[in-house]
Amino acid sequence: MGLKEKYHVYQRPILGMASVIGLILIWELTLTYLIPVDPFFFTKPTLIATAFREQLFGERLWRDLAISSRAFIWGFSLSVIAGIPLGTVMGWRRRVEYTLDPFLTALYASPLVALAPLLIIFFGVGLLGKAVLVFLLAVFPFIFNTSAGVKSADPLLINVVRCFGGKERDLYLKVILPSTLPYIVAGARLAIGRGLVGIIVGEFYAASEGIGFAIQNYGDTYRLPDMFVGIIVLSAIAVALTELLRKAELMVAPWRAGEEIR
Amino acid sequence: MVPCIQARDISLTFKPKNRDSVTALKELTLDVAKGEFVSLVGPSGCGKSTFLNVLLGLLKPDGGEIRLNGKQITGPGQERAMVFQEFGLLPWRTVLANVELGLELKGVQASVRRERAMELIKMAGLAGFASHYPHELSGGMKQRVGLARALVTDPEVLLMDEPFAALDAQTRDLMQLELLQIWDRTKKTVVFVTHSIEEAAYLSDRVIVISARPGRTKDVMKIALPRPRDYEMRLSAEFNDIKARIWASLKEELVLIKAGDGA
Repeated sequence: MGLKEKYHVYQRPILGMASVIGLILIWELTLTYLIPVDPFFFTKPTLIATAFREQLFGERLWRDLAISSRAFIWGFSLSVIAGIPLGTVMGWRRRVEYTLDPFLTALYASPLVALAPLLIIFFGVGLLGKAVLVFLLAVFPFIFNTSAGVKSADPLLINVVRCFGGKERDLYLKVILPSTLPYIVAGARLAIGRGLVGIIVGEFYAASEGIGFAIQNYGDTYRLPDMFVGIIVLSAIAVALTELLRKAELMVAPWRAGEEIR
Repeated sequence: MVPCIQARDISLTFKPKNRDSVTALKELTLDVAKGEFVSLVGPSGCGKSTFLNVLLGLLKPDGGEIRLNGKQITGPGQERAMVFQEFGLLPWRTVLANVELGLELKGVQASVRRERAMELIKMAGLAGFASHYPHELSGGMKQRVGLARALVTDPEVLLMDEPFAALDAQTRDLMQLELLQIWDRTKKTVVFVTHSIEEAAYLSDRVIVISARPGRTKDVMKIALPRPRDYEMRLSAEFNDIKARIWASLKEELVLIKAGDGA
């Protein structure tokens, strides 16, 4: 295989990596040679890299991550536990959907982070307040996607199971659940993004620990390289989780490979 | 003749909310003997498929009586199985798991149903495809799965709703032949709905012409061709006569539909 063919096969990763490295270089070179901004106001990749190395071997980053993860996992798990059954009932029973739809749509559309101060008053600055905020943000994609998935269940397949002697329970387990699963996984992808916003905003508002607090705190004290470390760790986690779910989508619905589900 | 299915004066009217009601079947009467192959032909929308759903027990008629081996049909049952035009395979299940469905719903032990399903898969000519998913199969193969799935519980009656309509012409010819062979071996009672006069004449012991909506039995034609039948038989003068007779009866109904459309 010649060099040209090889390039064609790996075009995507090559161009992707080139653009990332290019951006880092431009950032570094601009701040070093073109516009030497005071490092007090802005920072550059080499400084961030140094801060990164220090934080990786320090204790604080890991402790903050553990604190934030706990609140995130609690809130996210609750949104799965509440969202999927609620979405299932809404998709299956039209009357339930009509009744709940105005509230859910309004809540989904509004920037719920505006409720953060209220939630902090209700539930305090610790684990609970943050978990509730994560829950409120992450539950809606589960509700709406599950409901859409249930509605997408093919009536022909429901008839098939019915005519081979399936009872109501079999319809749920053998048709509705499997056809809804890809929608739920796609919903989880959206929910992760929203849940991360929840945790960060919660910690911006009122907290003394956690990755969101760390970013805020480093910002307040003008430790920009350290602040960027927090942001980069956060987006790395988001990318990893999202990619994981993309893989999960292919696993639960191999027959839909190539179809984009949102 | 030992009657297997007895339908007496079956009437059924759909009453959708906010729309005019539609009388799909009106006093449809039909007997099918045990082991007989009967086809229903009729214009589109004449209620053929509705009648199959009544037979299946998914729809309840407003009037009349429908019996299977003398017992009133009140719901779906293991002695009847359906083959669907659009196959109706579960896309998340392999061929094997699709074929096992009926046994699974019956609560049969996993190892037993696996063995039984593999037998049927082999009979349907799908050996080697047990672990494939439906999206990896051609239309003809999908319908073989549909047929194997219907036969796996060893039902007495096989209901087929235009099973080959979605297939290309050659696959269709092949599947018809294989269906005849399977029918010959298993001695099932078959009720077969089709749009194709040729298909009905080729496969059946009797062809029932259903009238334009509301559907009722218009004509019953005995197909006296010897069995086993083969493709060459379809080229004979006798076969053409039969087709002409069915067509003559059906044509009147199509004219009726046209007049009814106000065309």
